[in-house]
Amino acid sequence: MAESVLTLKDVHFSYGDQTVLQGVNLSLRRGEFLGLVGPNGSGKSTLIQLALGSMVSDAGEITLFDQPLRRFRDWSKIGYVSQKVNSFNRGFPATVSEVVASGLYGKLGLFRRMKKNDWNKVDETLERVGLSDLSRRNIGRLSGGQQQRAFIARALVHDPELLILDEPTVGVDTRSVEEFYTLLTHLHREKGLSLLLVTHDIGAVTTYVDRIACLNKKIHFHGDPDEFTRKRRKILSVAYGHEVQVLKHDHEPVPLA
Amino acid sequence: MIEMIAQYEFMQRALIAGVVIGVIAPVVGVFLVVRRLSLIADALAHVTLSGVAAGLLLQKHVPFFQGVNPLYTGMGFSLTASIFVEHLRRLYRSYQELAIPVILAGGIGLGVVLISAADGFNVDVAGYLFGSILAVGASEIRWIVTVGVLVLMIVILFYKELFALSFDEESAVFSGIPRRWINLLFSVAVAMVITASIRVVGILLVSGLVTLPVAASLQIAGSFRQALIYSVLFAQVAVLSGLAAAFYLDWASGGTIVLVSVFLLLTVMGCKRIGRVWRKRLAHRAQIS
Ligand SMILES: Nc1ncnc2c1ncn2[C@@H]1O[C@H](COP(=O)(O)OP(=O)(O)OP(=O)(O)O)[C@@H](O)[C@H]1O
Ligand SMILES: [Mg+2]
Repeated sequence: MAESVLTLKDVHFSYGDQTVLQGVNLSLRRGEFLGLVGPNGSGKSTLIQLALGSMVSDAGEITLFDQPLRRFRDWSKIGYVSQKVNSFNRGFPATVSEVVASGLYGKLGLFRRMKKNDWNKVDETLERVGLSDLSRRNIGRLSGGQQQRAFIARALVHDPELLILDEPTVGVDTRSVEEFYTLLTHLHREKGLSLLLVTHDIGAVTTYVDRIACLNKKIHFHGDPDEFTRKRRKILSVAYGHEVQVLKHDHEPVPLA
Repeated sequence: MIEMIAQYEFMQRALIAGVVIGVIAPVVGVFLVVRRLSLIADALAHVTLSGVAAGLLLQKHVPFFQGVNPLYTGMGFSLTASIFVEHLRRLYRSYQELAIPVILAGGIGLGVVLISAADGFNVDVAGYLFGSILAVGASEIRWIVTVGVLVLMIVILFYKELFALSFDEESAVFSGIPRRWINLLFSVAVAMVITASIRVVGILLVSGLVTLPVAASLQIAGSFRQALIYSVLFAQVAVLSGLAAAFYLDWASGGTIVLVSVFLLLTVMGCKRIGRVWRKRLAHRAQIS
């Protein structure tokens, strides 16, 4: 069994002459829940794009499930919900079920049709995210939070071992956010799912994750939440710049971005 | 009309052509519309015009082409253009619709130049511009049916992949769906549909047959499957009306088909509105009592 699900070693990346990542080291062990935080434009989404092979790093080494990224082919081991997922066409004529089922298509492969047990899988996953009642609803007619759960279902339906979520709680009300974390913790504990969660919600994330990484061009912190909380002022002022706001509101989620 | 169909071969050909086109045009149309690329149909139709013009020109000057139907050169042109559109779409990720005016303008430009260079054709260009379902020839019908089978096969075999790519290209690619390959195949299907439809609706109105039934179907479809089924139903009604109008009234089939499609769209929109008002009223009454 692979010990490490994702590692980045000394990864560099720039868009043209704008350096975005400068020697980033990061690791995610099997079964771990890692929270990745950092200010807007700090390179979090870029890091994920690199890890998923949709962009190529300028230097450094990336491995997925202990295999070099170049040779990794088993994409069905990974579920991914992009930050841009909610920018889909609202008028698209598809039911929640149809959208969630499309998460299985890559794994099914060409020329294989959806069978009964595939649809059962879709229903199960919808139940897990609490959308069973809305499975026949048009995807554009769900609320923002419900849509996000549908996309998480799409990323989960093929039983991945690693789930990567890029800011999935933006625009979701407090209760739904709580439910969302409960769902993640459940998946993480019961199914042993490895999780990489990008978020701005520092307050919430420290209570749920196993480890936190704080990124801004470089990794400014990579360790457990207790240590993060202790050194929080220092880490944030370095990673986020000297923002008074961050220093003042110490006991609430930091109102960044 | 049924006796006529049984009696006259040209009516049988018209019926077969109409039914085939009435299936494949809206099916491909659904994917084009949800990708916000419905105008591609129009652009490719105009490229086909220049291809037809080139074919007619060659017929005049090159002996080999004398027996070749200009629609084949038309299809060659639109296939090339369609692959080029795919390429432009990749090049301009954030302006995918930019490919359309580029191809549209290029197609018309080339067509006009070719027609003027040929100093006018002895064949009626209007036949290609407006189409006439009753004039489908014996060799053309074989070709239309072949195109129909090929296009349906592409859509049925790659339904999953086409759906996933249309809904969310990024996630589809990430999950391992071969984007380039599938999109290329789909482009080929679109080009074939456009060329095959020209006989029935004409170059100027092809995009109407590809998009109008879809527009009506999107008004009422809850799922993707429904969107496909309804748009085929609407297109069949339109095409068969066009055929009847052409036969009994001697109206242009393409024009009738598009007008019926517009009428269906308006009817669906009207029914939907009335339904909504009624439901609100009922809900209101239920609240009061
Ligand atoms: N396609 C692109 N082309 C050029 N520069 C880009 C592109 N995408 C991102 N950038 C730049 O790279 C930097 C990092 O962007 P990235 O999207 O990785 O940040 P992020 O940490 O995900 O931010 P956010 O919290 O706002 O999502 C930003 O400064 C941005 O301007
Ligand atoms: Mg981001």
